[in-house]
Amino acid sequence: MSIKNLIICIVILAGLVALPHFLAYNFQDLLIFLAVNVLVVVSYRLVTLTGEWSLIHVVMMGVGAYASAMLSKMAGFPFWISMPIAGLTAAGIAALLCFPLFRMTQFYFLIGSFAAGEAIRLVWIYFIDPFGGSSGINNLPPPELGDIDFYEPIPYFYMTLIIVTISLFILYRIEKSRVGLTLNAVHWKAPLAESVGVDTWKYRSLALIVGSFFVGIAGALKVHYLGVVTPHQFGIGVMVFVLIWVIVGGYASFVGPIIGVVVLTVFDQGLRASGIVDPAVQPAVYGAVLIASILFMPEGLEGIGKRFFSKSSGENA
Amino acid sequence: MELFLQSIVNSLIQGGFFALWAVGLVLIFGVMGVVNFAHGELVMVGAYTVWLLHAQNDVPFLIAIPVAIIIAMMIGLVMERFLFRPNRTDPLAGLICSIGVLFILQVIAHEVGGTGPAKQVAPPFNQIVEIGESLRIPMQRLFSLGVAIASLGVLWFFLTKTKLGWALRAVALDREASALQGININRISMIAIGVGAAMAGLAGALMAPLQNITPHMGHNVIITAFIVTIVGGVGSLSGAVAAAFIYAAFHTFVTAYFNGTVATICGLLIMVVVLIIKPTGIMGVKVSE
Amino acid sequence: MGITRRNLLRGTAAGIAVAGTGFSTQLLAGQKTVKIGLNIPMTGDYAPWGLPGLYGCNIVANNINAAGGVEIGGETYMIEPVGYDHGYDTEKAITGYNTLRHDDAAMIMMLGGSTVGSIIGRAQRNKMLVSTLLPSDITPDTSNLVAPSESHPLYNCTGVDWLADNFPDAKSAVIVTTNDIEYGQQSAAVYQAAFEARGIEVLDTNFHGFDVTDFAPIVQGLLASKPDIFCMATDVYTTPLIEALYNQGYEGKIISCTLDLYDEVIAKTSKEFVEGIIFQFPDFDDPALQSDDILFPDPSGFWDTFQKDYPGQWSAVAWEYPANLVTWVSAAQAAGSIEPMDVLAAMKANPNPPHVFGTGKWWGKDLYGLDNCVVGRWPVVTMQNGRARIVEFRDVGAWLDKNLDILKRKMQDLGLRTV
Repeated sequence: MSIKNLIICIVILAGLVALPHFLAYNFQDLLIFLAVNVLVVVSYRLVTLTGEWSLIHVVMMGVGAYASAMLSKMAGFPFWISMPIAGLTAAGIAALLCFPLFRMTQFYFLIGSFAAGEAIRLVWIYFIDPFGGSSGINNLPPPELGDIDFYEPIPYFYMTLIIVTISLFILYRIEKSRVGLTLNAVHWKAPLAESVGVDTWKYRSLALIVGSFFVGIAGALKVHYLGVVTPHQFGIGVMVFVLIWVIVGGYASFVGPIIGVVVLTVFDQGLRASGIVDPAVQPAVYGAVLIASILFMPEGLEGIGKRFFSKSSGENA
Repeated sequence: MELFLQSIVNSLIQGGFFALWAVGLVLIFGVMGVVNFAHGELVMVGAYTVWLLHAQNDVPFLIAIPVAIIIAMMIGLVMERFLFRPNRTDPLAGLICSIGVLFILQVIAHEVGGTGPAKQVAPPFNQIVEIGESLRIPMQRLFSLGVAIASLGVLWFFLTKTKLGWALRAVALDREASALQGININRISMIAIGVGAAMAGLAGALMAPLQNITPHMGHNVIITAFIVTIVGGVGSLSGAVAAAFIYAAFHTFVTAYFNGTVATICGLLIMVVVLIIKPTGIMGVKVSE
Repeated sequence: MGITRRNLLRGTAAGIAVAGTGFSTQLLAGQKTVKIGLNIPMTGDYAPWGLPGLYGCNIVANNINAAGGVEIGGETYMIEPVGYDHGYDTEKAITGYNTLRHDDAAMIMMLGGSTVGSIIGRAQRNKMLVSTLLPSDITPDTSNLVAPSESHPLYNCTGVDWLADNFPDAKSAVIVTTNDIEYGQQSAAVYQAAFEARGIEVLDTNFHGFDVTDFAPIVQGLLASKPDIFCMATDVYTTPLIEALYNQGYEGKIISCTLDLYDEVIAKTSKEFVEGIIFQFPDFDDPALQSDDILFPDPSGFWDTFQKDYPGQWSAVAWEYPANLVTWVSAAQAAGSIEPMDVLAAMKANPNPPHVFGTGKWWGKDLYGLDNCVVGRWPVVTMQNGRARIVEFRDVGAWLDKNLDILKRKMQDLGLRTV
């Protein structure tokens, strides 16, 4: 990463550290959710780098969330252990699903991943013991570290910020590495990649597994703040939001989805606060934004950003 | 024994609905290559139209049905003209656009219906037909089964016996070759989505007196339609109809004798298995890409 | 209170349903107001168990304010109900709690279930008073959570008891409900215990999901065993269930916890078919409610105003939230303060707390871990000629004293938490 970008990142981080102190209490929560969602979209982008659009990503977040919830509440594991295990659990389930799912491509993969995700969600709903059924599991213990009160949004936000930043850093390095470049090759020119001996199945699986690992961690981060995990937090509606963030933001570069989720979240909050639009109508606004984005802004916000700043290409492969 | 017979009747009735849902989806995907995620919402629009006209404003049921069909059809045509056609080359974009439509339609339904509990439409035909000692079938259900089968019959006739129907099937089989033969792809796409959306609207209208009407009733429709479509074969309409009745029987019997949620889980797993083993489905033919 | 950090960057509170649906207050200059928050579902499947409560609170608050407000600790206050719609989403419930709390709500009233579970930890730390309609939310760690008006689903025992006394030939039952813990399972446990206590055999209990569109297979499956009694244990889908029963020509007894929107049920079936259905929620113009031992202000006046201002919206909760509001008022007056912990202490200090259907007692330690639920009498209601009418009041506390062991066993069999 160039020095200029490094400085930009540090400035942004510093700003984020200071930001909660300027916000009203009930907006501090939103920073936590925003940070978690950034991790969700960036990990999703890794999965899409293979050219397949999966609809199971948010359910993987739920797998991690449930794993962490059950380990911490029922088995007494501290958060610092249950969270990484959450990531590993999501990665493990993803690994199992690779076998059936990657036999499908394109449309079939989309539907298949949707079906598998929905089946998992219904399992959570049907098996009240141990998943708690529709009501889920509540009274989840927060992290513990000395005297820090992780029930308060600001400490929790700082912790989330640290974990998300580290995760983003790892994801960025993966993308820039040989593995990442190979993934790109699989996406754009699969037959060509295969002809030089690249095992496309292996790379697709890797993307899904690693992406699921990080979104599993995001799931743990989210539910331990809320204190409750339910199946409805991980339904197709939420998956659609992830799609919207990624598409509107653009997915050609690493920062595209981040731009998407930040801009749309701020937009959403601004819309609520202004009171122009009845909250019940807001999904329609999202729908319109999504359609407009596809029709008029196919490269997403990052595409506009690129043209506006007329950056020279070559920085992002 | 009584439960068994009742379940058979229920399976037939549900199968009729599943078939209407799936056939619309297959037409659109087969001919245009795009997945209409808002298909369930077209069904919902049909149901809300009947609620609004018949339950709220005393328009006769038999008039409300065609209105519902027309409204659903018009929405479909608008989607084709402005969303799917510009994205002909990128089906994923079309799918994403249909998700946008899904949100918009749900909000419209919410605004039209207002907050509060599910809407109910009192059945216009509320006699009960009794067969033998133990079999009781509400007239409303028989009516919907009859109309569903009749519509499927009309569709079959259209597709196999008319020139336009043949053109539709040709485009589904091979779009480029059809274009070379002089078939107007745009026109065919409009017809496909028009018919598909009309079937969805009809299904919604028939369902209105039979179940809760809510803005998210489309969720169940799209899941079932996917399962049926995949299992039956993505390009095949007869496969979809067959799969609709088979899946309806499966789901009904499992629900009656065991549990509804388990039935849906199994349905989804069956779909995944089919996707793994034979992605083109039981009767499907590989659609050219 | 002045300008604090929280006033900066705070837009109009997100999602707050403007307390202007029928609510008016003559605020004199300098008039003090105390806000009572309602963090409830106003949209979605659970809307009937949230929104009508806000409407009811508006009516009761208007009446109080029109009479000059309430005097608490030497100051006169106007009451302002403030609602937040969480649509039964746990995340929005947390935002709702934060928003209402920072809007200086003196108490936060909720429906119950997972939405309460998600905020009660915060409420404990913030020393905020929260009320619920589901006593099963109460645990040894939730001292700030009270259930002052509704003791769902414990009161369901009264309907079963009355049925057994009046229809001794009914010897078998089937139960249907939703598969969630807070309503379906808890209610099923009570019905199962109540049936067993009276020697009625439960042939089958069916838990279904929230995505069912066709209830015919479920009902047909249950009727296959030819039960004398068909029981809906707090199932939100009473309308399609009863319709399916009607289609099947069912001739046995029907008992349910709620029967909301029964006019719609009648439209789908017939007045004759619903005659005699037993449930637990009266219409408030019932003659049996217009007596002095009913501790709700002017029930029939409340009913008339509600039907006029909010036609077609009456549901089981329309009076329960206002009842909590009234309880809050009397406790605040006793405490001489609007601070949540003072009011809570005043509530708990009264061994015979007021209850809508007569004085009650604090209960719950032996089942939930804390005596934070008020149990008292509860009406048994049947459909008579197209209207809901009370047939008798029965004592929930007495039933619990006698049958707690059976209830605990049933709850444990279902995996529900008991002490």
